[in-house]
Amino acid sequence: MGRTIITVDDAATIRKMVAFTLRGAGHEVLEAQDGVIALNVLQSRAVDLVITDVNMPNMNGIELTRRLRTLPSFHRTPVLLLTTESDPAKKAEGRAAGATGWIVKPFSQEQLLAIVAKLLPG
Amino acid sequence: MNDNLQQQLIKDLLIESFEGLDNFDREMLALEKGEGNAETLNIVFRIIHTIKGSSGCIGLNKIESVAHVGESLLSLLRDGKLAFNPAMISALLEYSDALKEMFRSLEQTGQQGGADYSALLQKLQSLQTGNPVETKPAATYGLFEEEPAAPLAPQPSPTVVPEPLPARVPHIEKVNAPEKAAAEKEVAARPATSVSDTAIRVDVGQLDKLMNLVGELVLARNQIVQFTAQAQEPTLLNAAQRINTITTELQESVMKTRMQPIGNVWAKFPRIVHDMAQDLGKQVELVMEGKETDLDRTIIEAIKDPLTHLIRNAVDHGIETPETRRAAGKPDRGTLTLRAYHEGGQVNIEILDNGRGINIPKVKEKAVQRSLVTPDQAAVMSDREVFNLIFLPGFSTAEKVTNVSGRGVGMDVVKTNIEKIGGSVDVLSEAGQGTTLKIKIPLTLAIIPALIVTSGAERFAIPQVSLLELVRLEAEQARKGIEMLYGAPIYRLRGQLLPLAYLNRELKLESPATTSASVPANDAVVNIVVLQADGRQFGMVVDEINDTEEIVVKPLGKQLKSITCFAGATIMGDGKVALILDVMGLAQHANVIAEVRDRAVTGKAKAAEKVDERQTLLLFNAGQNARMAIPLSMVARLEEFPRSQVEHSGNQEVVQYRGQILPLIQIANYLPNASATPMQADPVQVVVYSEAGRSVGLVVGKINDIVHEVLTVKRNSSRDGILGSAVVQDKVTDLLDVIGIIHAADPTFYEETRKI
Repeated sequence: MGRTIITVDDAATIRKMVAFTLRGAGHEVLEAQDGVIALNVLQSRAVDLVITDVNMPNMNGIELTRRLRTLPSFHRTPVLLLTTESDPAKKAEGRAAGATGWIVKPFSQEQLLAIVAKLLPG
Repeated sequence: MNDNLQQQLIKDLLIESFEGLDNFDREMLALEKGEGNAETLNIVFRIIHTIKGSSGCIGLNKIESVAHVGESLLSLLRDGKLAFNPAMISALLEYSDALKEMFRSLEQTGQQGGADYSALLQKLQSLQTGNPVETKPAATYGLFEEEPAAPLAPQPSPTVVPEPLPARVPHIEKVNAPEKAAAEKEVAARPATSVSDTAIRVDVGQLDKLMNLVGELVLARNQIVQFTAQAQEPTLLNAAQRINTITTELQESVMKTRMQPIGNVWAKFPRIVHDMAQDLGKQVELVMEGKETDLDRTIIEAIKDPLTHLIRNAVDHGIETPETRRAAGKPDRGTLTLRAYHEGGQVNIEILDNGRGINIPKVKEKAVQRSLVTPDQAAVMSDREVFNLIFLPGFSTAEKVTNVSGRGVGMDVVKTNIEKIGGSVDVLSEAGQGTTLKIKIPLTLAIIPALIVTSGAERFAIPQVSLLELVRLEAEQARKGIEMLYGAPIYRLRGQLLPLAYLNRELKLESPATTSASVPANDAVVNIVVLQADGRQFGMVVDEINDTEEIVVKPLGKQLKSITCFAGATIMGDGKVALILDVMGLAQHANVIAEVRDRAVTGKAKAAEKVDERQTLLLFNAGQNARMAIPLSMVARLEEFPRSQVEHSGNQEVVQYRGQILPLIQIANYLPNASATPMQADPVQVVVYSEAGRSVGLVVGKINDIVHEVLTVKRNSSRDGILGSAVVQDKVTDLLDVIGIIHAADPTFYEETRKI
């Protein structure tokens, strides 16, 4: 069953790769360039999964996660952080902010599909 | 991943990365100057972080691994775990070059390049002392709940009762600009770090196509307008009128989409200046003003190389070494200023340095040595003429040829390239004080105003940028006005000799009036179009002068490309093709330029020096017999409107003009002693004045003449609307205070133009 997923990243390459991969798996994918845009979209629209980069201009992924958790419709929505291996501290911070999981950049399409399957079972 | 997507992703990555790395260089240089802050480090980190992440995801492992090393160093710097020191800058710039090299290789060959960067990477790693590059953790993804809880994790309570989901809004597919704008307001407190947020990328080919289509539309519009002018059907007339207006607006909007800030070209200059200064042991500060000045992208492309060359020249030849500067009592650090601004439908770019200036005796010596001028000619040259010698082919004053600014093939190529796009270069210099290069270029090349003339029953378009004035000789004048000087026809235009060329003869067109004899038949009227090429004037005799028109430039076919007399073709309102004349090529073909050049040199420096003090003035009557003048440089156009076309908008008299509403100002109302009754002549004589895209029409009495004279103004500020008086053509003439009058009539005029 296709779900709705939003991918948030300031790098178009990553955004498109995520979107393409997930659309290929039958999901509907929204795109946003940073936390502020994503938050704006998500104010009026719920999704099944949020995949966000950590390091972005305007509003980073951690802050986005924290803000999303204050929205009633996002208390339980899984949030997947795209992190880098040089950022273990960010991982802990992301967890504290309420993120559900992480994936280290760079990742393969298979790895992405595997964790999405874990986060959106059924 | 399929190949198509891979290609698309690589294309995006290249655009993103080149842009990012240019920014990276800029921020690095800011850091070097001590202008950086915590945010600067964050920006550069993010750029590299993005490159690394993106290239890794599409399988560019080499780029990824190189990017990784720099990222580690930058992340330590950003987090304050490592103190920033200037030694890192050159290593990081080198690193940026390495990445660019790999991207360029990727762009050209599809491969990441075979270069070995291990030495550079070693250097970067040694800079992060005590912090070896971390190895990748085993897990590449996971869920937090499957891990032992982190000590600082106050997890959001999972027991909150979920509220019903709000209804889905299915139409949001993409995040668009207005939403973004709203979002930006929300974070207005934070400094904006990226301007690309509100913009989308559009394929340049798409924009070119759009421009072409608009060009076609303009042509079709011209045809419709011409056709409906004869029709009596009011509905049709209305529709045509609307199409006219809309097309004009569309044309402007599309042209705007092709505009790019000149800063895009300049972005590379800080790096070039930095590297050159280092190589040459100089200290140079680069100041850039007016980065946001917009230009058509084809023009941006065309000026890229000339500008780069001029910058290199300024650093290499203009600015001195710190020792020389100190000896001359100047600060060690030289300043190079780049300035761009719009002025009257053109863009001016200035390159100023406060270096040694052009050495006049040395330039003369070199020019004589290279047989570009004779010693006699050199002796009588004005400074200005000497400066222009540097633009002659094969000229170079560098004592030794350096690898930085080329081998003396530069300046003439710079000049040719700029003139090719309808621009001009001017150079001013003062010994010991510095040099200023002024470049004027048109905003766009695709649609240009042109004068349509007829010769030998064919129509030709002459670009308005080359056009100076029109002279019509009738009866007696036609017979006696044109003289022969050493076998070449000339005309005395206000005391100056104007070499003439006959378009019919140059293009071998059939025309009974002028083909047989050099002096036209008795009853003929002679139309002279005074043109400017290469900074010199000549007259082109044509059979008929038709009208000015906005024309769409179409490139010539292969077969005609080699004919230097034509710059292109255009389609006229009636659907027929007219050739666009290349004024420069035509002048060379007719040999009129060379003649002028010789004459200018032998014509003694006295005349040349006086030119600077002379002004071209428009003479006219206002109200009663008051004789008035304004500098021609303030006049955008002279127009005549039938009185019936004058309409009223509120208290304001207006006319419809070029698809816009032109407010009219009766200058008589703003002058002290003129008759109170405004001028009622029919047709109404109007001097159009334009400033920053806004125009206003000054209603004058009769337009008398255009003169070229030395102006000695006696200031007389007691009278409103008049700047002062001067003696012009032996008569006392008042100089109209154009700006003052416009300000009095419409105090908002200049404010609003400033806002635009």
